[in-house]
Amino acid sequence: METEKALELAESLLKDFAISTNHPEANRVDFVIDRKDLKAAVNTILVNKHWGYLSAITALDNALWKVDETTKQKSIDPSGGSLELLYHFCQAAAVATLRVSIPYNDPKVDSICDLISSVSLYEREAAELFGIEFVGAPNTDKLLLPDNWPAGVYPLRKTFTSLEDSAKG
Amino acid sequence: MEPKTAPEKFIVPIGPQHPALKEPGHFEFTVEGEVVTNATARLGFVHRGMEKGAENRTWIQDLYLMERVCGICSHVHALAFALGVEKLAGVQAPPRAQAIRELVSELERIHSHLLWLGVAAHEGGFDTLFMFSWRDRETVMDLLETISGNRVNYSANVLGGVKIDISEKQADAIRKGMDFLEERTKHYLKVVTEDETFLGRTRNIGVMTFEQADFLGAIGPTGRASGVKRDVRVDSPYTAYNDFPVKLVTHTHGDLEARFIVRIQELYESYRLVRELVDKMPTGDLTVRVPRRIPEGEVISRVEAPRGELLYFLKSNGSDTPERVKVRTPSLCNWSSVLVTAVGHNLADMPMILAGIDPCFSCNDRIVTVNRKTDSTQMDWEDLRQYGIEYYK
Repeated sequence: METEKALELAESLLKDFAISTNHPEANRVDFVIDRKDLKAAVNTILVNKHWGYLSAITALDNALWKVDETTKQKSIDPSGGSLELLYHFCQAAAVATLRVSIPYNDPKVDSICDLISSVSLYEREAAELFGIEFVGAPNTDKLLLPDNWPAGVYPLRKTFTSLEDSAKG
Repeated sequence: MEPKTAPEKFIVPIGPQHPALKEPGHFEFTVEGEVVTNATARLGFVHRGMEKGAENRTWIQDLYLMERVCGICSHVHALAFALGVEKLAGVQAPPRAQAIRELVSELERIHSHLLWLGVAAHEGGFDTLFMFSWRDRETVMDLLETISGNRVNYSANVLGGVKIDISEKQADAIRKGMDFLEERTKHYLKVVTEDETFLGRTRNIGVMTFEQADFLGAIGPTGRASGVKRDVRVDSPYTAYNDFPVKLVTHTHGDLEARFIVRIQELYESYRLVRELVDKMPTGDLTVRVPRRIPEGEVISRVEAPRGELLYFLKSNGSDTPERVKVRTPSLCNWSSVLVTAVGHNLADMPMILAGIDPCFSCNDRIVTVNRKTDSTQMDWEDLRQYGIEYYK
């Protein structure tokens, strides 16, 4: 009951930003929002209304796969697909997620560090492993990867198979 | 005499070979005199590329991989993963399996909290408490070994249930162990709340207010010591926590002392739960069948690890390998909040403040890819041994 109420409240708070709303599980609500609205949406749900806390940021590489008819080999079709960031907010059992789609050719999104200072580690993780630039982030030093890791190689992208393959291009 | 220039700022680097903690992490504290004015972290020294690795393995193989994310709370990682996969597959483990999962979770919490008690005492220079608590911790390690065959990776879970059962003889050993530990824990609570020198290192040190903890997303005992009522076992019960509920333990002071008290009182809760579980263990099967190919979908699986909420995000593309396995460990949340609140404290308090959140580095550092340039640079055991001999010649 409380979970339903919390989800309803989240929906009413974010209705102006949501392009679409989805209920993937009974205790969850997902809001697809435009990346330019991200900061305003976080400001509304967390800073102004204190709806739960930011539990995690999941980055996804939604690559477009194609299958070769003759060889049955699966490969990535560079003409489609996108990156996606999921900002999970938890309040007791209820989970509200802001979903932001980010194109490969312009992988940028506003940093929300100035709203929640503790979010820096999550953003740096996504920046290093998926190559997403968080505009306005106060600290963009390496967090997880070795110092000698080559620039522009993002290990959790679907195109990454190994460092040797990346070096070959 | 008035100083002509602004006071100089010093950056004190600590780590990665940390003099106090047994795991690698690098911190830079900017200090003005004794007082810390900024704190940053560099993690990743024990990165292993597990999230990427999970995408190249089957769901079943990944259960074993995820159990190895953390060497202290291995069971909750496997549990969070198994619960997520079961949710995607639309199956539920039988009641007896759920109860055994909760039992192992609580035994693991006991071992983890006692381990932390020792480490934190050691950081404060109280090595007698460290040795006593670790000696007593052996009781629960032996129990875990008795029921699973292992001290660390108990491997209790399979997708769809558990692979270990609890016999009456084992249940008796568990009851005896809990009696012994409860007596010892009373003593520890007395030490951390009454010992004058101990309180000198913990009382009013590293205070995180309720507002800070709540807003910055502090979780687990770190958050609960500041009065934040967050515990996945209570908020969103999983496995058997509905039938065997846990009582929320919180404190209001938010200092290091409160973090000691919360963890020790949680130990009492765990002893009570463990006894109740072995006394009222449901009967029945241990497993249900889970398909090899997991239906397409996304799921969030949250469990309460000893350090706080552990979140798994799983995405399936309908095949026998996952599309994405995202792990957000509790230490990462607590690092973020503790780095913010470290500012303003004395440098000498940093080891205790860092240890106060019960940090776990392997948890944070699971994602990196091993840098193998060519096969010839890989070292086997004999190469490593030779390298060591040459190095120290």
